[in-house]
Amino acid sequence: MSRRRQLVSLAAWASLSLLAAAGAHAQSPGWSKIRVGVEGAYPPFSEVGTDGKLKGFDIDIANALCAHLKAECVLVPQEWDGMIPALQARKFDAIVASMAITEERKKAVNFTDKYYNTPAWLVGKVGTPPDQSAAAWKGKRIGVQRTTTHDRYVTQYFKGSEIVRYAKQDEVFLDLAAGRIDAMLCDSIAADQGFIKKPMGKGFAPIGPAIDDPAIFGTGSGIAVRKADTDLQKKLNEAIAGIRANGAYKKIQDKYFDFDVYGK
Amino acid sequence: MLLGYGASLLEGAALTLVVAMASLAIALALGLLGAIAKLSRLRLLRWPAEAYTTLIRAVPDLVMMLTVFYGGQLLVNQLGDHFGWGFIDIDPFIAGVLTIGFIFGAYFTEVFRGAVLAVPPGQREAALAFGMTSRQVLTRVVGPQMLRHALPGLSNNWLVMIKSTAIVSVIGLSDLMNRASQAAGATREPFLFYLAAGGIYLAFTSLSELGFAWLQRRLGVGTRRVQM
Repeated sequence: MSRRRQLVSLAAWASLSLLAAAGAHAQSPGWSKIRVGVEGAYPPFSEVGTDGKLKGFDIDIANALCAHLKAECVLVPQEWDGMIPALQARKFDAIVASMAITEERKKAVNFTDKYYNTPAWLVGKVGTPPDQSAAAWKGKRIGVQRTTTHDRYVTQYFKGSEIVRYAKQDEVFLDLAAGRIDAMLCDSIAADQGFIKKPMGKGFAPIGPAIDDPAIFGTGSGIAVRKADTDLQKKLNEAIAGIRANGAYKKIQDKYFDFDVYGK
Repeated sequence: MLLGYGASLLEGAALTLVVAMASLAIALALGLLGAIAKLSRLRLLRWPAEAYTTLIRAVPDLVMMLTVFYGGQLLVNQLGDHFGWGFIDIDPFIAGVLTIGFIFGAYFTEVFRGAVLAVPPGQREAALAFGMTSRQVLTRVVGPQMLRHALPGLSNNWLVMIKSTAIVSVIGLSDLMNRASQAAGATREPFLFYLAAGGIYLAFTSLSELGFAWLQRRLGVGTRRVQM
């Protein structure tokens, strides 16, 4: 590359970023404002209502935590795939998106204590034999949301199966109902309330017992923050303990579930 | 209407239009500058313009979009940390509009360049012979004739651009596509919502075609239409 061209491309980049900066705003310090990345496509934890607003368990928890910290909450919708990259790029400061606390993710981000913990289900047509062995599912198609703990589990244990990976959990539901996949592995609550109890999930049920493998599924869902933001991590931990203690957590839980989602 | 998501979809449609219009403004400006640079006698201007159109036409829109939004943010963060500006957020609207404008600027460059070349050189020579300055030649003779030649290409690219705005949904902008996909997810009715979104895009493009047909007639005043 000639010297001149280098300059031109540099100038192009510089002007582009300057233009971008013109429409941008700086962040306020001290965590009086917390920008929270949420998914919006993972009912009943996170979805978009008819008014275009976000709602669900994750959303209520995020708002309750901010309220407890007397901070302003800015919810930023983000596709699941880019969740951690967007956190690293400082698009937001924390992820409240039912993200399981796993060793692998801990290499990239810090987690708070869990705010809920539920096992996974293998879901298929009613009447499928309750056999979760790899042999029983050889050659069958199993759907999962990609880059999730469920993805890791089927990749490790269902080696002979054809694994179909989707960007959103919603899409897994659609394809299971449409018969394009034979089963799916996902969170038990998401499967139950987001699918089996809805009209489209009629005729589907969990196959075999709930699956809970801490080595893969981790120790529950936590809030992810950047490694550098240990002060925010500490604050959020206090807030989780706070809303657990003052009843705010239970109020939110009872709105969505008739059992204890916090787990042991 | 639409299981209660009608209003949400219309809001998205409005944002899609705003994104398309803003991108159009950038693309037109870049296209004109690009065409001038490409037709210039100076290599210093011609080469960057050549590099620009070659690069943009070779890289998929989606790749550009994600590069600017995530990659651009990391770059801005590093610059910010280095110079102590603090955090500067590239918001999805700015990133989306800039990227689409930047991409279509390259296509518009080619459209304008072709249109200028389509004006017979005799026109320019005659104007110069009359003693017009080169600026007058551009605004009175070459410009208006060029516009008529450019219009079909512009209208074609505008239609493609309206549809291309759908890629802003991947960077979290609540455009028509994004709203449709959210509604499809929440109600489990993908067919209904993607069909509705398709219908709205169709309405936009059809209206645009009417507008362009009118413009074509206006700019074509004084030229004879081909009769079959």
